[in-house]
Amino acid sequence: MIKDFLKTLVSNRKSLVGLCLLGFFVLVAAFAPLIAPYEPKIDRLETVAELGEPSLEEEIVSEDYPSDSRDVIVYRSTTTREYEKTVDYFPLRAKPSAEHPLGTNHAGNDLFSQLVWGTRVSLTIGLMTGLFVTALSLTLALLSGYLGGVVDDVITFLTNVMLVIPGLPLMIVVAAYVTMKGTLPIVLILGLTGWPYPTRLLRSQVLTLKGRDFVRVSRSLGERTSFVVFREILPNMISIAMAEFFASSMAAILGEATLEFIGLGNVTVVSWGTILFWAQANGALLSGAWWWFLPPGICIALVGTSFVLINFAIDEISNPRLRKR
Amino acid sequence: MKYFLRKLGLLAFTLFVSVSLNFFLPRMMPGDPARALLDKMENLQPEQLDTIRAAFGLDTDDPVIVQYGRYLRNTLRGDLGTSFSRFPTPVSEVMRVALPWSIGLMGLCTIISFSLGTLIGIAAAWRRETKLASATVGFFSFVRSFPYFWLGLVFIYFFAFRLRAFPIGGAYSVDAARGGAAWWLSVLRHGALPAATIVVSSLGAWILTMRNNMINVLAEDYITVAMAKGLPIRRIKSMYAAKNAILPSVTGFAMSLGFVIGGGLVTEMVFAYPGIGYMLYQAVNAKDYPLMQAIFLFIAVAVLIANFAADVAVMILDPRVRDGAK
Amino acid sequence: MSDTMLEVRNLRAGYATAKGFVRAVDDVSFSLRRGEFLGIAGESGCGKSTLAYAIMRLLRDNARVESGGLLFKGRDLVPMPAAEVDALRWTDMAMVFQSAMNALNPVLSIGEQLTDAVHAHRSVSRDEAEAMAVEMLALVDINADRLRSYPHQLSGGMKQRVMIAMALILKPELLIMDEPTTALDVVVQRSIIEKIEELRRRLGFSVIFITHDLSLLVEISDSLGIMYAGRLVEYGPAAALFNEPRHPYTEGLMNSFPSLTGPLRRMDGIEGRTPDLLSPPPGCRYAPRCRYARPACSEGGCPGLAPSGEGRLSACPYPMGGRADGGVAGEGGRL
Repeated sequence: MIKDFLKTLVSNRKSLVGLCLLGFFVLVAAFAPLIAPYEPKIDRLETVAELGEPSLEEEIVSEDYPSDSRDVIVYRSTTTREYEKTVDYFPLRAKPSAEHPLGTNHAGNDLFSQLVWGTRVSLTIGLMTGLFVTALSLTLALLSGYLGGVVDDVITFLTNVMLVIPGLPLMIVVAAYVTMKGTLPIVLILGLTGWPYPTRLLRSQVLTLKGRDFVRVSRSLGERTSFVVFREILPNMISIAMAEFFASSMAAILGEATLEFIGLGNVTVVSWGTILFWAQANGALLSGAWWWFLPPGICIALVGTSFVLINFAIDEISNPRLRKR
Repeated sequence: MKYFLRKLGLLAFTLFVSVSLNFFLPRMMPGDPARALLDKMENLQPEQLDTIRAAFGLDTDDPVIVQYGRYLRNTLRGDLGTSFSRFPTPVSEVMRVALPWSIGLMGLCTIISFSLGTLIGIAAAWRRETKLASATVGFFSFVRSFPYFWLGLVFIYFFAFRLRAFPIGGAYSVDAARGGAAWWLSVLRHGALPAATIVVSSLGAWILTMRNNMINVLAEDYITVAMAKGLPIRRIKSMYAAKNAILPSVTGFAMSLGFVIGGGLVTEMVFAYPGIGYMLYQAVNAKDYPLMQAIFLFIAVAVLIANFAADVAVMILDPRVRDGAK
Repeated sequence: MSDTMLEVRNLRAGYATAKGFVRAVDDVSFSLRRGEFLGIAGESGCGKSTLAYAIMRLLRDNARVESGGLLFKGRDLVPMPAAEVDALRWTDMAMVFQSAMNALNPVLSIGEQLTDAVHAHRSVSRDEAEAMAVEMLALVDINADRLRSYPHQLSGGMKQRVMIAMALILKPELLIMDEPTTALDVVVQRSIIEKIEELRRRLGFSVIFITHDLSLLVEISDSLGIMYAGRLVEYGPAAALFNEPRHPYTEGLMNSFPSLTGPLRRMDGIEGRTPDLLSPPPGCRYAPRCRYARPACSEGGCPGLAPSGEGRLSACPYPMGGRADGGVAGEGGRL
């Protein structure tokens, strides 16, 4: 089932482009240390060189000749090495150059390196949140759709309520209360505000599948619930769950960037959102430093586009009406 | 009627949930934000510290449930507490200044974006074989993955900084006399870029939703029947296709509206536009929790009411919903 | 004016799919007299709906007529400009669609949907159009106060009667019905068919009635055409064809009559499935499923309709009457 699905994804031109784009960013994130010329928070380059040979100096402290057969000489031997330490401070707010392809920021950090390292953080948070949201909403949807009854009523009602409470303001308020700063809190905040919509979509899919003949037959034959859920319903939800995964990941990347841009993330971590935060805080815009704030946005948009393309393809596969006839 | 009452019930309940969320959030958060805040603010005046204690319920030994009751009563009366950062102005007073700007900007943008996006979506579905339609859909799918605030930054950079065609921020010119023609003109000039940001980035969602709905509807038998009957194309497009296709869009209005408003808030932050978004930004930075909460509450209430209005609109548009058949 | 309402000449039509062109209607010819009731039967996927849409010039998107002629009152519809087709359609020929549930716009009232057909073709006032709608509804036994109703407020049978009223509102001379009773229960099916028969007597239009359920056609059809895999395999006067089928497929269809207990019956009387129209089998397309098939049946080209006496046509080169094993007599006894 999964294999078929992946095969269709690869054979569709749109999703192939999307997958390649996403793959590119995943590779950048994985090999960030190899790709980035500098560490993300380095603002200088230090080189140390030894000058000449070490020189040896000896000085006699005391001499004593207690007997004819014994001399006691105390002396001090000092080896001196001479080093030259060169500290090349990166220029602050530099324009793009050969050393710094995207210039440097207010603190002299290399922006290209920050962008590369930031890919790691932004992508990790995005995909982790996507996974978290998908798992959470899939669980809720299965519980609600399959069990029905009171469980369904409660989950559906909660979903409907949470669905209409605007997400971003809630996210901002919650994030403002969170005193811990880090990846996990951000994933939790994004995830706990992002589950209602996917849950609703997935639940209606569960209900559709529950009404299909093959599931009804299994149920009437008394198959175990776990068998029906995991062997018959779940495999048929792969495409829609994947679509929700990509949509949630995209929302998470946008949400994370927004929170960090506002200053609600951990501004000491280097991610696409915090690069933009510092750019804004340091007036990159009005000094014309486009190389500072354009690239992170373009990266976010490209990752987003890759998700959109993959989802277009999934839509076309699962909704024949949208297929170009 | 049953439908109307059910939706009214949902409205009341969601309002209640939003208000309660506002009360319980700071009390449920791990890490005790109130203490952390108090520790940081030792240089405040004692009265200010009192308002902070009051806001978090640290000033009384009443059980939470009593505090909750008091909070509900105060909220209903419109008493949302006192702002930390603009001490001793009441939060409601602070909000009153910011609200008209946001309502003007976001209200207008939502209407423009919804109507324009719906129209473009209809056209894109109707002529979906054309290059222009696929290009439009492709372009807006791409734009939709830009962060709102970043699009705002780009607009400022190009149109305000490079071309100097628009002011870089604010909502009006301080030089013009308030209320005069010149002042209104400056309001338009200041609003243009933020409005463009919101419209451009939210347009794609409406276009894509409407297009997909339209394509689904166009495959229905009743469209074929309408064509067979020889109805004018305009009538088929509007009364047969669009009228059916718009129903899911209107039903999903609240969700999309929440998204637009979220985007609008961030846009205001970027443009230093003196609405509630920018105020939220300032409140977040100043840890002005009462103000922050009041803004959240206001946005939630606005979205919930707009959503209720959308439900009523569906009721008017869809006879099946009117009869409770759907 | 000639007595011929519609003449279909060697029509080929189909639709493009990702795997290739599916010729759903392959070399079909027949003619329909004024006032005649022609029934066309065949299993689903045999091309009968494509035929109906082709006659109405309603093939959409990827579907098209490849070749052949559709002479409606002497004028060929195939090359006719769209504007002229628009003028003809619904005024001179109209159609009742498969599923009334989906053929009515859910957000417009019945009255609006009836009268907008009138307004599209005649310059009449609102009141006049409404009067026509009321008159038509009366003909199908629906009360005038239903004009303000919406589709979801009507039962399935009522919706289908509204569709019939809608099709007849401009008094067309030809009515095409594409599985008009499929989704209805048997009792309602019967009442709809009786209604059509009554209206045809009264208004004098011709009918092409398309169904997978041959039993519906028995009593009311003047002529019957049997379609299989895009081809017309038998054609002739209904009674004669029914009493003595000459194509094995016709016989097979008759043996798979649905019982009266259920509204929908699968054709389980014939073994096997309809062939893939992308790559039809060689020779007679029915041969793989035919109980009388001989080796020669699966060779060469597809046999065409040929006169088999008494004004009848059959595409089977081995007419059932002359069959050595006498299988027909035994089967015929059941009818």
